[in-house]
Amino acid sequence: MNPTESSPTSESHRRTLWEITRGQRVRYVAAIVVMAVGTIFLLLVPYILKVTLDAIAEQRAGLRDVLIPAALAIVGCHALHGLFTYLRGRWSAQASEGIIRQLRHELFAHLERLPCSYHDTADTGDLVQRCSSDVETLRVFLSAQIVEIARVSLFLLVAIPIMLWQNLWMSALSLALFPLIITFALLFFRKVRSLFEKVDEAEARMTTTLQENLTGIRVVRAFAQQDHETRKFGGRNDEFRDLEYRLFISLANYWTFSDIIVFAQIGLVLIGGAYYVQQGAISLGTWMLFFWLLRTIIWPVRHFGRVLADAGKASVSIGRIREILAVPPESEEPRPEQPVAGDIEVRNLTFSYGRNQPALRDLSLTIREGETVALLGPPGAGKSTLVNLLVRLYDYGDDSTIRIGGRELKTINRSAVREAFGMVLQDPFLYSKTVRENVMLGHSSAADHEVEESARSADIHDNIVEFEHGYDTMVGERGVTLSGGQRQRLAIARALLKDPQFLVLDDSLSAVDTKTEARIFEALARRRGRHTTILIAHRLSSTRLADRIFVIDHGRLIQEGTHDDLIAADGPYARLWAIQGRLDEEIQHDVAQSSGSGSLS
Amino acid sequence: MNEWIDDDDDESKVDLRLWRKLLRYTLHYRQTTITFCLVALGLAATDLCFPLITGQVVADIEEHGTSVNLAPYGWAFAGLSVAICSCIWGFISCAGKIRTHVSHDIRRDAFRQLQQLSFSFYDRRPVGWLMARLTSDCQRLANILAWGVMDLIWGVLLMTGITVVMLIYNWRLALAVLGIVPILFFVSVWFRKRILRASRLVRGANSRITAAYNESISGVRTAKVFVREQENLQDFDRLANEMERYSIRNAVLSAVYLPLVLTLSSVAIALSLAWGGYQVQLYGLAVGEVVMFMYFAQLFFQPVQDMSAWFAELQMAQASAERVLSLVEAVPDVRDTPQVARRIAETGSDGHPDRLERIEFRDVGFRYGTGPRILEDFNLSVAPGQTIALVGATGGGKSTLVNLLCRFYEPTEGRILIDGIDYRDRSLHWLQSSLGIVLQQPHLFSGTIGENIRYGKPDASQDEVEEAARLAGAHDFIADLDDAYDTEVGEDGNQLSLGQKQLVSFARAVLKRPRLLVMDEATSSIDTETERQIQQGLARVLSGRTSFVIAHRLSTIRAADLILVIDHGRIVEQGTHQQLLAQRGRYYDLYTEQSMRDIVRTDDLIGGNGESVA
Repeated sequence: MNPTESSPTSESHRRTLWEITRGQRVRYVAAIVVMAVGTIFLLLVPYILKVTLDAIAEQRAGLRDVLIPAALAIVGCHALHGLFTYLRGRWSAQASEGIIRQLRHELFAHLERLPCSYHDTADTGDLVQRCSSDVETLRVFLSAQIVEIARVSLFLLVAIPIMLWQNLWMSALSLALFPLIITFALLFFRKVRSLFEKVDEAEARMTTTLQENLTGIRVVRAFAQQDHETRKFGGRNDEFRDLEYRLFISLANYWTFSDIIVFAQIGLVLIGGAYYVQQGAISLGTWMLFFWLLRTIIWPVRHFGRVLADAGKASVSIGRIREILAVPPESEEPRPEQPVAGDIEVRNLTFSYGRNQPALRDLSLTIREGETVALLGPPGAGKSTLVNLLVRLYDYGDDSTIRIGGRELKTINRSAVREAFGMVLQDPFLYSKTVRENVMLGHSSAADHEVEESARSADIHDNIVEFEHGYDTMVGERGVTLSGGQRQRLAIARALLKDPQFLVLDDSLSAVDTKTEARIFEALARRRGRHTTILIAHRLSSTRLADRIFVIDHGRLIQEGTHDDLIAADGPYARLWAIQGRLDEEIQHDVAQSSGSGSLS
Repeated sequence: MNEWIDDDDDESKVDLRLWRKLLRYTLHYRQTTITFCLVALGLAATDLCFPLITGQVVADIEEHGTSVNLAPYGWAFAGLSVAICSCIWGFISCAGKIRTHVSHDIRRDAFRQLQQLSFSFYDRRPVGWLMARLTSDCQRLANILAWGVMDLIWGVLLMTGITVVMLIYNWRLALAVLGIVPILFFVSVWFRKRILRASRLVRGANSRITAAYNESISGVRTAKVFVREQENLQDFDRLANEMERYSIRNAVLSAVYLPLVLTLSSVAIALSLAWGGYQVQLYGLAVGEVVMFMYFAQLFFQPVQDMSAWFAELQMAQASAERVLSLVEAVPDVRDTPQVARRIAETGSDGHPDRLERIEFRDVGFRYGTGPRILEDFNLSVAPGQTIALVGATGGGKSTLVNLLCRFYEPTEGRILIDGIDYRDRSLHWLQSSLGIVLQQPHLFSGTIGENIRYGKPDASQDEVEEAARLAGAHDFIADLDDAYDTEVGEDGNQLSLGQKQLVSFARAVLKRPRLLVMDEATSSIDTETERQIQQGLARVLSGRTSFVIAHRLSTIRAADLILVIDHGRIVEQGTHQQLLAQRGRYYDLYTEQSMRDIVRTDDLIGGNGESVA
């Protein structure tokens, strides 16, 4: 055992392991009990052989009366052993798979409840790895390794008393090399573990190279680098082959040496037993009992060291899974009695992500119920941060205040807040479900005509009906791949379907062409007053719809007012407007010139 | 991994022709194969000797008691042990050699093939599908060719040996034991197939679970703002329950199978004991022989199990074999014609002058496979050094045009001429190494920025690299990075933003100094500020070089020598910027509509210096 395995973390890992078996322990105990019974039946067979062989050797009269029951007993013992093995297999599978299902459930539920601040910094690949490979390692441990350890232990527990009961010296002879077999396997697999890892790494490198080549095949061709790529992949392929071959040679060495020990052990019993028979210390039947018994238990024992060595991996996996479960989830406040509605008041809001510079600095603004406002500013100004705080995706400090309908946001249950909002995120995420299911995300009881109506408002209905299966078309790899604009419009449709108190469009039309944008704005204008609407935009065209405009830069509010107010004032908005004007002029100029030259030609 | 990767794995009749072709990969390692057969023979022979020696020593002790000298038996057993262990070593190392080398060789051939196959092949097969062929399928086939074939040879030899020896010793007892074998084999195959099928269901469920985790993590914000946590969890629980059900079914099948086989083989042991014991009394059979027969009956058990497992696997792997062979044997649509290949083989060039100036499309038509016609009667003549801009709606045929030009596809009708010669009469490698291409989705390879820029010209000096980066407007951001040109870009360039990746891929094309430059929406994700910076560099790069540009940036389009407005596979308008505006047609609409939204973005205007807070 290496020192870390007896450290407090290992202790707490064991406790975690104990905790997750809750609810399945009875099954496990039952599995062990039937396994023990089954083992007894299996190891009875050598005893039956002994009795029968002795009877045969002595040429007793009425041998027939011994032989037939013996034959039936042998088959019966195997059959009963089989029955109990089946029960053991069934119960231990039910127990371990049940535990793993529960663990998967907890991990999934926990991941969903972890705050965005955690997900921002966590590496998706690593999280998925922990939820899949580490859980799988644990599953193998629970379903196979523990069972195997129990099986070998029971074999020894049952076999050793039988042996001792028969003959002390033969027992000693039969078990002489067992410690060596187990230790050898344990040490070998400890040592070879790094080679296993190297092989895995080499395979991963090869796969990555392959994937890069295949996804970049156009670049490879365009730069005529096929030879270079073939050499590169060839190198990785060779490396993987050589390492894997080395592993096989290592394994060949292991099996060879452990088999030598096993055969030496069998030889000891065969020849040593013959000697004891010659001495008259045991009967021929007893000799065969030891011989048969040994051959029954020695193969699992040979494997035992490997199982023990592999079982060590489970501890690492438990640790990695625990790390996720130990992260505190989002806090849960009681649900309010009234729905979340009213004016939004933001006061002295300062916020920063982690230890970075503040994304918002001392920002104060008020958005009245039913109003449509535009947040304008360059990327990184803090516009998205503000709306993220409004739906409590992040928690702000105690110096800052946000109130909705006069109630402090922090005291309102997160889900209740989010239910009141319809958000269209910058880069909308679609589930690999049907188009309909994606639209119905926030309103799962919506009728078909409602779904279609909101799709029309988002100007996506016509696209959807052109898909092969209309609204039932799958989104993603197994169905249609939507363009950026289509994704954005689908996301708008699903926010509209929710008919929320507050509608937030976070730069949601960046990939949509101007005509479509105009149509969507028209639809939104018709709904004016139905929602409090917050538009985040980079483009001036978006502000047409707004009652009031907030210009934000570097986390600060630098201008607010109606379009007319802001044009009249001397500030960034007016400057922007002026440049817009100049550009319009430039275009007019271009066009005018062209019409001039056109008339000439 | 996705579930569709092995969704067509249903067992089919074993097509021996396929396996014979695959077996050639094994036979390539002749020495190993011969050793392998000898080792299998040795292993079967030594396996056979253990019951014999055991039976002999028991019989001897029974008959002669104390007068038996045990030493020879001891030595014989030791010798046999050493022999069998050497055979085991040889067996594993030979199988290991074949397994690793054959899968390596199939992968190598498939990869080479993939470098030649045309894009029409790639269009029909997702990357994941191809990956699975070169990874899991290769491993699976190599496993069969190594372990499967080995177990088969060993199993047949051992079973034949046991049968012969038993028949010689005692044919009655032998027949009794052998009677069990067919039943054992049948039961084994029946179960193995079901176990394989069940484990396939488990794999499928497992990949769905992994996908669900992936989706829940990437979509966590959406789940939160739509308060979907409960529903998502319910959906996930369905998957987890399904997984549990499949896993248990799989485990239960094994839990029935192994005990059943064990019990069946115990019938043979019991028969040997009972009938053998009876014969001891009747015909004076030696007890040692009874022991030997029981041992033999037990020995039958392993090869039958192994062989039935491989037999089931062989049926299941049929589809893998077909897919891998179809890949290795596929013929690329676009490749050098036999004439060109011959000229290259004889003279080292395709026989035409190394010149790429005038490009002409003559009545070019194109369709993907049997799909609708994407391009029709397309005619275009490009003078040396001209910049051609392609504009028009998505799906109108712009990218197809570029693909044809690069000979990623060949026209289904008409011809493309380069300096008067049909490009199909030229070497593919020549054309493609003269190209510089910048794609909308820039693909970077993992490695440093410098390595990526050098991709088309590995021997370029650092100065050349930096000059190319400057022209592409990439130098400034690269110089700001901690490790500058030695910065690792990560897998698929993920450490860089999309705009930065576009700049690097632009620099990569510039460094190559291509004779023909193709840009497919290459600067779409670059902010206006940077775009303004690269304008100058772009002008220098484009000047005097024939180039095709697909763009929506007006600034780029405006400067083109010839603008083609393409719709539904035809040129609907063509001319210079001024000419097209004067026509008041499609281009005019596009221009007036686009200009406002494209040029005026607040990022350049407020704050002015474009400084952003992460």
